[in-house]
Amino acid sequence: MIKLYDYVLSANCYKIRLLLSMLDVDYDSVLVDFYPGREHQTEQFRRDVNPLGHIPVIDDDGFVMRDAHAILIYLAARYDSTGQWYPVSDPRQLGETAQWLTFADGTTNTASAARLHVNMGYDFDIDAARAGAHELFRVADEHLWFRERQGESWLAPGDHPTIADLAVFPDVAMAEEGGVEMLDYPALARWIERFKQVPGFIVMPGVFPYGVS
Amino acid sequence: MSATRTNPSANVDVAHALQRWHPIATQYDLEPRSLFRTKLLGHELVVWRADDGFVNVWENRCLHRGVRLSIGTNDGAELICRYHAWRYSNRTAGCTYIPAHPADSPARTITNKTFPVTNRYGLVWSSQDPQGQVPELSVLDGDTLGLRNLPVNAPVGLVLKHLATHTFLPSDVLAPGLDVVAELAAVEMSAEVSTYSATLRARLAGNESSAVFFVQPVDANRAVIRPVLGEAPFNTVAVLRHHAAVLADLVRDIERAAADIESRPALPSALEVPLELPTVAVAVGRSAPLRVSVRRKWAAAAGITAFELVSHAPDPLPTFQPGAHIDVHLPGGMVRQYSITNGPGETDCYRIAVKRDPASRGGSVALHDSVHQGDELQISEPRNSFPLRRNVSHTVLIAGGIGATPLIAMAKALHTNGLGFDLHCFVSQADQLAFRDQLAEFGDQLHEHVGLSPQETGEQLSVLLAEPSANKQVYACGPPPMLDAVRAVSSDQGWPADAVHFEYFKNTTELEQGSSFVLELARSGLTLDVPSGATVLEVLRENDVPIVSSCEQGACGTCAATVLEGDLLHQDVYLNPTERAAGHTILTCVSRATSNRLVLDL
Repeated sequence: MIKLYDYVLSANCYKIRLLLSMLDVDYDSVLVDFYPGREHQTEQFRRDVNPLGHIPVIDDDGFVMRDAHAILIYLAARYDSTGQWYPVSDPRQLGETAQWLTFADGTTNTASAARLHVNMGYDFDIDAARAGAHELFRVADEHLWFRERQGESWLAPGDHPTIADLAVFPDVAMAEEGGVEMLDYPALARWIERFKQVPGFIVMPGVFPYGVS
Repeated sequence: MSATRTNPSANVDVAHALQRWHPIATQYDLEPRSLFRTKLLGHELVVWRADDGFVNVWENRCLHRGVRLSIGTNDGAELICRYHAWRYSNRTAGCTYIPAHPADSPARTITNKTFPVTNRYGLVWSSQDPQGQVPELSVLDGDTLGLRNLPVNAPVGLVLKHLATHTFLPSDVLAPGLDVVAELAAVEMSAEVSTYSATLRARLAGNESSAVFFVQPVDANRAVIRPVLGEAPFNTVAVLRHHAAVLADLVRDIERAAADIESRPALPSALEVPLELPTVAVAVGRSAPLRVSVRRKWAAAAGITAFELVSHAPDPLPTFQPGAHIDVHLPGGMVRQYSITNGPGETDCYRIAVKRDPASRGGSVALHDSVHQGDELQISEPRNSFPLRRNVSHTVLIAGGIGATPLIAMAKALHTNGLGFDLHCFVSQADQLAFRDQLAEFGDQLHEHVGLSPQETGEQLSVLLAEPSANKQVYACGPPPMLDAVRAVSSDQGWPADAVHFEYFKNTTELEQGSSFVLELARSGLTLDVPSGATVLEVLRENDVPIVSSCEQGACGTCAATVLEGDLLHQDVYLNPTERAAGHTILTCVSRATSNRLVLDL
């Protein structure tokens, strides 16, 4: 069974849990004391699990991988027989999926950093993080607004979400925890509600379910 | 003394701004079953469209714990707060259910702050205190296209100053490969700018397009540009993209200019801060404060006429919950109770059903024969002494004849809330089932029992009530013999008394009024005599003690009072055996003391 080095409040770990749930793949969480213990930065963790000292990391029957977005690609390619989550057969879909995966690195460095600063006291330039998040969200909101006008629902073309939607989702859904007000992004808000209705969707602390809980 | 706090440094005239209509959403913002959040003049709003098309604009704050309502759920009929799942009704914004108090009907004072709303030019408009109408713009008289909104971090005045020189291209010239920069330099623009909008016309090589750029004042430093094009172009997406692109350039210019001026403190909430809490008028006696008219009168089944009552006032009819009834005041001083059959969110009217009963005291005949479509009636506010608990997994609804009316409202609520139920309707003939068309949505949760004898009814009830469970509740309404049968069967089968609820529409008890006793009112400090032949309610009313009543025959529970001391002769059909035995409650219209002294908490 897949082993996931996991922390409940980590947006990047949540991405892995989300995809595994949506693909209905069983896994065991190995809980890492990320905060306040900083276990992922210890000598032992670097030596045994990830020399870069971060999570998530998966161990799939001896195959060990790090980096959330890379893990998403691996899991989708390995366990999604429909090929919808990582659409390799259509170059444009694949290209846009990769493009928005990179965008998710941007939200990790801005919206997610602001959240870590507020919730766990990380030493980031909070104003720059928030301004950067707003810049990215403006672009994503406009993109999704035009997608809606063309009868589309997701970041990449096609009628099914991709791992790009999944990778961007947590930072948008929890942006206000970091003090990034979402008032100006109604298309992003609608996309969030759509994503919550994808079968297999699960929550984490800070993310509400769709509908009446 | 005015309680309004204004910010003198803001560049909007707040008093004037509060009285105008402002656009707060574009139709595409209001997807079905979604909640839209915005701000107007520093005040945060939640905007949502119910399934019946009504657009609600409310303060974005739950009355309970202050949580943003916009993180809750729009179920098409009600908005449910995320935190403790309080339900607020479409149109009235009144609370209909508090899960932590499943047996209570929320007080009508638990009503959210609502704002006026109107729809025009594909936009939703609101205001705190509207004087006049939404601006008339002839440019938008014909076809229109809502362009993409753009939020701007700048005050309204600065936004409009820049909009005056905004340029765009007429829709017809937009084509792939066009040198947009060169064409924008050549386009001939004319602008008409007012306080909150700019009407622009672009002309180029015989082509022409006009658009109105409405500006929503979010707060002192922020605005949303809501542009509407005065045509429906064939190349929609190209036009939307062009406007989004040129407007994004404009927004960048505006925000650069805004960064150069000293930022103002955001407008404080511009709402009037009340200096005193409002007083709530206490209803007394059988008051009928609502004037309604009959919008529709139709045959809901054989011998049953339905009435749809709508409000005369601009305000919506008061909030009701499933199980609630109204008093209808009829010519000749007759007052009759009818259950509201509406489901959740059906708040533009009250629908009642009346069975013609020539043997009765004349109320039903008067409604059938003398009240017509378009007539006016006086009614009471809804009262609920038959509240629906929603903390069990299954609810059994047992209706005898016209007794189906409150249970139909309950079934609709359970259906909308996704809770399990069975609605059993006992009728003597199949054509006597009221609202058959509306009941179809319940599918196999609707069960008809037609033409059963009293004995067969009893046998059927034994089947329906065969499995008592702590996770089930039973509600029954119908003629007294049938309710007596439900009471007997449920008791025999082992149902706890507090899991089975009854609503009688009449009390056939032979009333004993012979005793006389002293009535003490602990709160008012009054000592009164109740002589033989008079009811407690009559004595209270003669002495101006405020108490609300409705049926005045011991069936509805409205005039209940709390007993502090005294032995009781219960003559009502409202209290269950447990409540009777406890002796804490008296229905003042029919019941009396057997002791010499009765002390009430009044």
